[in-house]
Order: sequence, then C-alpha cells, then structure tokens
Amino acid sequence: MKVLRDLLRDYRFTASFIILCILLAYSSLSFFSPIDPTVWVAIARDQPPSSQHLLGTDSRGIDIFWSGAFAIRNSLIVALVAGVVSRFITIPVAMLAGYKGGMTDRVLMFISDSFLVIPLFLIIVLLAVLIRENLSLVTLGLLLACFGWAWDARVIRSEILSLRERGFTQTAILSGSGTMQLALKEYMPFVTPLVFATLINVMAWAIGLEITLAILGLIKLDIPTLGTMIFWALSYQAILLGRWYWLLTPVILSVLLFIALYWLSVSSSEYLDPRSRIQRVGQSLRA
Amino acid sequence: MKKLIPLLLVALLAMVACTSEPVEVTRVVSEIVEITRVVTETIEVEGVSVEVTRVVTEQVVVETAATGPGVTPLNAPDVYGLPRNQMLIVDILTGRIGSPNNFNEWVGWKWRDRGMQNLANEPLWSVDFATGEIINGLAAGDPIYNDDFTRLEIPLRQGVAWHDGTPFTSADVVFTVETLMTTSGLNAHTFFSTNVASVTAPDDHTVVFELNQPNSRFHTTFLDRWGATWIMPKHIFEGVDDIVTFEFNPFVGTGPYKLHSYDQSGFWTIWEKRADWDKSPTGILYGEPGPKYIVFQYFANEGAKILAHLTHQADVVNLSSDGLKAVLAQSNSSRAYQLSYPWVVNNDPAITGISFNTMIAPYDNPDVRWALVLAIDIAQYVGIAVDGAGTVSPVHIPSLGSYPADFIAPMQEWLSAFELDLGNGTTFRPYDPDAPQRIVEYVQNRGFVVPEDAAARAQAFGLGWYKYAPEAAEQLLIKNGFSRNSNGMWLLPDGSPWVIRIQTDPNMATDLHSRNAVAAAQQWKAFGIDAEAVPSEARSTLFQTGDFEVSSEWPAQEPWGAGADLYRVLDNWNSVYVKPIGEVGAHGGRWSSPEMDAVIEQLRQTDPADYDAVVAIGIEGLKIAVTEMPSIPTFGYIGFIAWDETYWTNWPGAENPYTQPYTHWGPFKYMTPFLQPTGR
Amino acid sequence: MLFIRRYLIPRLIQYVLVIFVGITAVFFIPRLLPTDPVARTIAELRSRGSYLDPASIDAMVADLTEMYGLEGSSFDQYIAFWQRLFRGDFGVSFFQFPTPVIQLIKAALPWTLGLLLVTTAIAWTAGILLGGVAGYFNRQGWSRALDVLAMVVRPMPYYVFAFILLLLFGYIFPLFPVAGGASIGRQPSFSWPYISDVLRHAFLPAMSLIILGVTAWFQTMKLVVQNLNAADFVQYARFGGIKERRIVSRYVIRNGMLPQITALALLIGQIFSGALITEIVFTYPGLGTLLYNAIMTGDYNLIMGITVFSIVAITTAILVIDLLYPLFDPRIRYN
Repeated sequence: MKVLRDLLRDYRFTASFIILCILLAYSSLSFFSPIDPTVWVAIARDQPPSSQHLLGTDSRGIDIFWSGAFAIRNSLIVALVAGVVSRFITIPVAMLAGYKGGMTDRVLMFISDSFLVIPLFLIIVLLAVLIRENLSLVTLGLLLACFGWAWDARVIRSEILSLRERGFTQTAILSGSGTMQLALKEYMPFVTPLVFATLINVMAWAIGLEITLAILGLIKLDIPTLGTMIFWALSYQAILLGRWYWLLTPVILSVLLFIALYWLSVSSSEYLDPRSRIQRVGQSLRA
Repeated sequence: MKKLIPLLLVALLAMVACTSEPVEVTRVVSEIVEITRVVTETIEVEGVSVEVTRVVTEQVVVETAATGPGVTPLNAPDVYGLPRNQMLIVDILTGRIGSPNNFNEWVGWKWRDRGMQNLANEPLWSVDFATGEIINGLAAGDPIYNDDFTRLEIPLRQGVAWHDGTPFTSADVVFTVETLMTTSGLNAHTFFSTNVASVTAPDDHTVVFELNQPNSRFHTTFLDRWGATWIMPKHIFEGVDDIVTFEFNPFVGTGPYKLHSYDQSGFWTIWEKRADWDKSPTGILYGEPGPKYIVFQYFANEGAKILAHLTHQADVVNLSSDGLKAVLAQSNSSRAYQLSYPWVVNNDPAITGISFNTMIAPYDNPDVRWALVLAIDIAQYVGIAVDGAGTVSPVHIPSLGSYPADFIAPMQEWLSAFELDLGNGTTFRPYDPDAPQRIVEYVQNRGFVVPEDAAARAQAFGLGWYKYAPEAAEQLLIKNGFSRNSNGMWLLPDGSPWVIRIQTDPNMATDLHSRNAVAAAQQWKAFGIDAEAVPSEARSTLFQTGDFEVSSEWPAQEPWGAGADLYRVLDNWNSVYVKPIGEVGAHGGRWSSPEMDAVIEQLRQTDPADYDAVVAIGIEGLKIAVTEMPSIPTFGYIGFIAWDETYWTNWPGAENPYTQPYTHWGPFKYMTPFLQPTGR
Repeated sequence: MLFIRRYLIPRLIQYVLVIFVGITAVFFIPRLLPTDPVARTIAELRSRGSYLDPASIDAMVADLTEMYGLEGSSFDQYIAFWQRLFRGDFGVSFFQFPTPVIQLIKAALPWTLGLLLVTTAIAWTAGILLGGVAGYFNRQGWSRALDVLAMVVRPMPYYVFAFILLLLFGYIFPLFPVAGGASIGRQPSFSWPYISDVLRHAFLPAMSLIILGVTAWFQTMKLVVQNLNAADFVQYARFGGIKERRIVSRYVIRNGMLPQITALALLIGQIFSGALITEIVFTYPGLGTLLYNAIMTGDYNLIMGITVFSIVAITTAILVIDLLYPLFDPRIRYN
C-alpha cells in the first residue's frame, strides 16, 4: 500500500493510472457487447453520435463505440504480448553478452545482428502474407516479439558494457557473487529504466506496426483493432466525408493508450531507480 | 555539440527558404480574346424541334500561361512549362509504371493504359461498349472469312501514317505477324505460331491470313477490348536484334498523340497532340482532338487523388464508391457519369460475383452452389457491396448495353419456369423478376432518389435475380446430407463444420472483388456458415492453379462488350482448358460440361456476324450455366469516375453517351475530339 | 596487433557471416509464398480483360519459366544467384520484365536516400538536443510542456498524421503539392529550379518524418538523461560549481547519447528498405514501394536486389559503430 501511496504522489503516475483504468474498463465492456463487431449493416450506416450510438455508426453499419471497445482490447493484447515476450529474450541476452563478453558475446551478438540486418519490414510483410489466415492477435504479438528484441538487446548490452568498466563489478566479483545473481543484483537497478523505456518503445512500435500492417491490408481486417478501425475509416474516406467521429475514435484511443503506458513507465522506473528514489525521499523530507 | 546547433539552424533555414523562394513557374495571365465558334442549338419551329447550327463570335476572358519568374508559384498548378488550359490530366488506373523506359507492349505487362493503348496506338478495331459499336481503326472494315473459316482477308485504312511520318501499310501487319510467329518470348507468340499458316499482303491495304485450323474468331486478337495484338512499325522493328529486350523508346504509334516526356520514377507520362493528327484514324474519323497535352498521372492513395482533383490538378480520377461520394460532396465543378443517383458508370461489360472451385467438394455439387445462391438476399448483398449502386444480372453476362434486350429479356420466361429439385418430391422456382424492386426499396431507405420510369429502373438495377429463400437452400443442403449443429451452424455431410474462406484482394475497401467477397461472407454467415473473406496477394495465382475453394474472381470471362457473340464467355468453359489442381489454367473454376462443349462447338461453326444464330446459341449456353451455376453472377462491374469541368467539358456522361466514358480504355482517343475547352 | 587478432578479425568474420545468413534467409523466405511470378504475370495480362487465347497458356508458362530463370530446384537457383551476384549482376525484374533490377534500384535510391538521410539526421539531432536539455531541466515547466507535447504527438498513427498534414497544407492552405517527387513535366537536372522544386515536394514528407522522429528520440533521450542527473559525475560537477550549460553539453548529453548512436546506426542502415507509408501518402518515389510491390508480385530478383543493399548497409553500419564506439565512450576498451 505504501508503494502505491508513494507512487500516487507523482501526478504522472496518478494520471496514467486513471487513464489506464478507464481504458481497461472500456475494453472490458467488449465482453458484454450487445453487438457482434464483424456483422455489417445490422444497424443504420453513417449515423452521427447520438444517445443511441454514443460515437455514431460507421459506413459498414457497425457501432463505433462498441468496435472501439474491441479495438482497444485487441491492440492491447498485441502490444503486451510483443512487449513482454520480447523482454524475456532481450534481458538475458543483453546481460549475458555484456557481462560475459568474449565468445558468448560474439555468438549472441551474431544472432541478434542476423535478426537486425534482415529488413524487418520485409520479413514481417512476408510472414503476414504467409500466415494471415491464422494470424490471431497472440500470433501477431509473438511474431512482433520475435523481431522486437534484437535492437534493444544491443542497446542494453552497451549500457552494461559501460557499467562493467565502472569498477564496482570488480568488487562484486571479489565478494563472490555468481554471474546471474551479480547481473541481476548489480546491473538490474541501473538498466531498469532503460528496460522500461525500451519496453514502452516496443509496445508503441507494436501498436504502430499493427496499424501499418492493417492499413496495407496485411492482417485480418474484420477483427476490430486500432489498425483495422483506421483502415476502414481511411478507405471509406471518413475525413473527406466529414465522418470525423469514425477516424477520431481509434486515433484518440491510441494516443490515450500510449500516454498511459509512457507515464506509467516513466514514473515507476523513476520509483524503481535507487538513485532518484533517494533524491525523491530527500525532496519529500525537505517539503 | 555546439557546432551542431548552427548546422541544424542552417538546415532548417534552407528548408524554409526553399519554400518561399520564387521559382520559374507557369504563370497564368488573363487576356480578352475574340473567338468564333460553331454552336448547335435545338429550337422549336411550329411545334417541331429542329437542330440548327450557327456561327457566333464573342469575347471571352482567356487565361493563358506564361513562363517566367512568378511570384505565386505555390498556387499555380504543377505543370511545368505547359499551359494548363490546353492540358488534360487524368489518373492512371493500373498504378505507377514499373518500367517507365519501356514501351514494348509485345513483351510482358507494360502499363499500356499509361496512354499507349488509349492515345498513341490505334488497333485494327476497337470495342465501344457504350454504343455497342465496333470502331474501325487501322482496319477499313470487317474481316472477310472464307466458308470454312480457314482464310480471312482484312482491308486496311488508307491515308494513315505513323507519327514519324512513315506511311502505315499492310507490310507493317505482315511484319508484325511474322515476327510474333518466329520470336518466342513475345506474349502472342504461341497464339500466332499455332494459328497462322501464312500471312501475305496482296497490296498495300489488304492482308490475307491462311490459318492452320478453322477459327471463326481469329480476327478478335486484333480487336481492342482493353488490350489486343498491336501492329509494330516495321521501319523501327526491322533493325532490332533482340525484340524481347528492345525498349521501343520513344513509342511510335498511329494514334493522334505522341510521346512528349515521362517521369523516370513512373509517376507521369505526357502525350502531345500530333501536328499531323489528321493522319491518325482518330483524326480521319472524328476530327481534331481537343487537348494539346494529355497527362497520365499516378496517385499512391485515394485521398491524395481526391485532393488533387478538388484543387483542379487532376481532371479525371478513378475512385472508390465512397471516394466518389467525397468528391461530389466537396466539389462544385465536378460531375460523375450520371447526374443523379447512382452516379456511377454501370455499363462496363464485365460481371462480378463469386467463383467456386468445382473440383473440390462440396462445391462440385450444383445443389450446394445453388443453395449458396438462395442464401443470398441480393438487396442486402448489393447494399453491403456498393450501397445499392449495382445492376444485377441472373446470368453470366452483365445487364448492360444490348445484352438485356438480346439475352436476358428473352430468357425471362425460361428463367421463371426454371425449377430446382429440393428432394422429397418438391421443386422450387428460384427466379425473382422483382429482385431489382427490393434493391430500389433499399436505396430509397438510404435516402437516395430513384427514377420513377420503369425502363430507367431496369437499366439501373437490372431485370431480375434470384429469391432470398433460406428454407429452400436448407432443403437443398439436407437433401445432400448436410446438417446443422446445436448452434444452428452448418456441418458438411461428413459432420465437420462447414468453413468457407472467400479469397479476395488485399485492398478490401475499394476493389469490387473484395466487396463481393465481404457481402457474400456476411450473407452466408447469417445463414449459419462459418464464412469469412480472406484477402490474399496471391489471389490471382491461386485462382489459376486451382488452390482455392471459393474466390471473388470474375464469375465468367468478360464478353466483348459489343455485338451479340458470346464465344469469348462460353469458350472459357471449354473442357479442353480444364487443368488438374496445381497447374496454371485459363479456367480457375475448372467447370465444364459436355452440353457446354457442344454449344461451343456449334458457336465455332457459326459466323459471328450471323446475329440470330449467335443469339440463339448464346442463350442455350447461358441456360446451361444457370442450371449448373458454376459461379454466382451478381452485379455488373461499376466504375466510379469523376470529371472536373473546370478546363474541359462535354464528357460522355449517361445523358450523352457518345462513346465509352473511361480514360483507360482504348477508345479514349476517340473521345478527345469531342472534349471542349472552357477557355479558362 | 593484439587488437587486430583478438578483436578485429573475429569481428570481420562475424560481419561476413551475418551478411551471408541474412541474404540466404531472404532468398528462401519469398519462395515459400504462394505467389508465383509466372502465374502472376499471366494473371496481370488476363485480369485487365486482355484476351489470351486459353489454348496458348501452357506454352506461355513454359516460356516465362525459362525467361525468368526459374527452372530447376530452389537450390540450383540459389547457386546461380551467388554466381550472378559475384559478377555484380542482380538479374532482371520479372514484373517489370525485362528491366534490369539495378536500373530500378538506381531510379529509386536517390529519392529514398535524399529524404531519409536528411530527415533522420535532423530528427536525431533535434531529438537528442531537446531531450538532453529537457531531461536535465526536467523539473521546469517548459520541459514538462515539451514532454506532454511529444507524448501526444508521437502515438499519432503515422498514416493519419501524414495525411492530415497533406490535407492541411495541400488542400485547405494549398502551399505544397499533393503528390509526386517533382512537378509534372520537369526533368531532373542540376539546376536551382529543379532542386527547389524537389525540395518543395519533399517538404511535407520530410516534416511528417521529422516531427514524429523528433518526438521518439526526445522521449528516449529525456528518460536517459533524467536518469543521469543522479549519477555521481553529474553531482560532483554540480557541487564543483561547473556551469549548468557546460554540464549539460559536456557531461549529460554526451553520456546520454551513447546508446542513441547505436540506434541511429541501425536506423540509417534500415533506410535502404525505404519508407513505404510516406511514399504511399505523398505519392513519393523510393525503394519502399518498389520493395513492397516486388513482394506482392513475387518478383524474387528485385526483392534480392534491394535486400542485398539493405543487408550490407545495416551490417556495415553496425560494424562501424562497434569499431568507433571507444571514440565516443573512452571507458570501453577492446579486450
């Protein structure tokens, strides 16, 4: 409880916490949806927002409020799977490579470089084309995770390389810590903010790539996601026909989602970072 | 770091500077000039309408372009050095030109609608689907076949010259055919080497073909229906060593326009009116083309295309259903093909729909295919697909031009009497002549105004389609061992769930194949089948190799668009073209029947010019196709085009269809003499 | 000498291996696709209504297979591919037959390089500087305001953001062209009118890339620098009375930049696959559309041509960064 109280002292955490709760509540509404968002023209098309249709209906005759609920849920699933799974690869690879050095470093960096050099977009497009029929949200997330770890592994490895040169590692080795223990205990606090920053980057990248793939028509277009909502709105010329509520819904949702993720990560990584924590405690004492 | 800041500032300043720097541009200058023109008017003389022609002289303000250091470069149209008001800018249908330097149409795919087929080249004949006429281009008349169709003679037009001044003669035709026969690697090589025994030129304006076997439709390879065999200029090609890699740049043609310049990135091609346009068939037939320059421009997305159109930077654009609505909502200088609902071009000679792979169960069973037809509510289907704007057809040819009068109307009686056997001794008559009325009701519910006149309605919505009869569909399926599970979802005879994946194109929103796929999936889902439209880049490959079950490919080969000969439609179902699954075949659906083969054989022995015989045999063929329903014909292909009338008027709209309305079809060149400048 | 033997040589071997593995992967993956270039060509000719005599299709398939060099197994083609590559020959494009692949790449490359090198450089520099300063002064109002601005702009879907720019400045305030890399009718030349025309057409695409690029670099850099604020050397510098400006430029930004240099190198390497969505929104020429269309039409030779460039560029960028890293960060030594 104390942790939460400490965190809530940060306005960014409070704001993101509230936004995230609202988004989660909104997305969980999809479980109680009165409509099937894949059925067309069940209701009148192109209705502007009204009490009956809070955000109006689109040109396919689907309620925008409800498809928005599905979209945010589905995009969140893709982003979370891509972000979290890729961290499980990134962190061990970066730690091992950075700390062990030598042959281990070379082999691991060879693998990550091989992933990096193949033009990512080419592979994802090829794979999306190949397995599109079976491309569920989780598989899409896993596909993105497969390619979302290599870059960050390099970034975190460089950080560890530079930490290693800072001397304190030597003391830790002398005091007899094991490799992983040492890595986790000594490096983790220092790389945590970086891990969080890269996690948010990967999630933002996953949401963005999902949208790009959808706009190109490369994923299943009848599953509502932020990307497919934008795809249909753009293809039906929602902007030029003045159907702003159709395009604006997924855009605002993705902005809100990102703000929540970003502030959440910034405030919690600051909280986790031992050094700025001391600073904050000092500040609160002064206050 | 410190050094970087000023560097950055300089870079930013440079970016800003280049936006405000006056550049050499086309400036628009207004001047008053006196013009004389011929006006045709209709006047009432003693209660009778009479057309009179008179010459008027009037003063108008003309805006001409001057090149020089302008002060308002940003608002001027982006046409470097060329006067905008003598220029027509149209968008290229098939997209960015992949090989902009290569004009060798005889090899591979060369984006021929960039102006090659539609401005700079003349074929022997062209189809004009709006008038139903065959236009004689380089040919002076119809081909003359001998009795057993093994020899034909083609008369050629006199007075035609290639745009470099060399006269066009029969030697060019003979050279072309002989080159095609001997050079492998050319698209038409196989066709000519198997069909032609010899080609000769008795004089400068006659060509005679001797064929290897009887072929009453041999000449149609030269008939331009969005593509044909073109004639090579002999004086250019005879010196070429390797014709396959020859770029044929600059293009030399017999059309009224010649190549002016083109973009290395393939974004635009500019064509210029020939000084000797009267040496082209277009000029000989219709007079001087209006626009001095015609630009084909590419837009990578529809939004930008619409913005360009709204800012008068693209006169003619090909759009999607909603893109056209957006243009009509935002522009007051643009018009569509029709001046009122449904606005669209609905006389394109192609029928869209759903194709089945008839080699794969359960789609090898006509009962199953018919059940799927009856599970479609055509009014809702057309509503989902194109917001009601489609002209439905119950048979495998579109309901347009002369086809309703020649085929669909005479077939009404047969269609109404046509019965399906539902098993357990009951039969069902699926035809519904009032289906178009259901679409009219849908359209009226959407708030659009529909013409009251029955003939106009029939033209807009078709003569009939099939009933929405889920109960009959259910009985047909039960008859064949299908069943429903406890959730009401259909199971195949073997008890597994019935899953339909309709293959379609990736651009799900704009493409008519995809719109068919989505509509069919929605209808069948409502009927209790796990149906879904699945976009695939490989759709066309998979269709040809038979690696599909249901696809939104064309349900039948497109007819010629002129005349009553359905050979092109029916011959595609010839059993000799059916390939096993896995091999590329002409005929993706892989359906054939001995009855249809007999009809095709009969048609082969009939002179295509014999109207009565050709219609009678054609109807027999269509009846077989309806009975077997190898694919589902739904609505005719729809073109969504917008014309900006700021610079050019007298477009061939529905109220004045003097020629086909597209700029990407070959007869676009025959439209150019009729386009009138507004003088702005 | 120890450096060469213990570091450089293994690193170079790794470099060559990575290129080999990358190219091999890209050779085989497209061949798994159901899109067959021969069938695709025939479909393209047929789909527009041109009449291919159904009877002649068999022979056409055989002809095209031979012309495209697609006879034999994938492995035979793979060997032939390396043989050609060592002669510097990428073959001809199938879909743009018989245009040589290299000619297509040459036409698109300058557009992509021009747009992406400049925008990447500007976005990176501006993002790092702004992020560094804002991170150091992270308690100040303007820093927070910038943070919020970046936070709202960055997650805008790029396509929508770019299209709104186009709508605003191409239509509502028609200051810039709505399509193309240069005006219709203008031929390339080394003259100011042409260059300024190109710059004017590049402005909106560049702005869309820069604005979104800056926000991303800004956020990452700000996080890193905020973290450095608490580092000992910064604290010492502060206590030691060193001017804030100097601390920011000498210590904070310089240290925070290090991870961003690696990222920049990778990004520059990836330039060679083009910026597809930018090219689509602004109808801009470049490698992105070329590659995308090549994938969609099963144009293997063209896919390979572009990819080889891209793989070599990325691998080289990584190699160079690895070799130069000690220059930026003296704490790192080669062991």
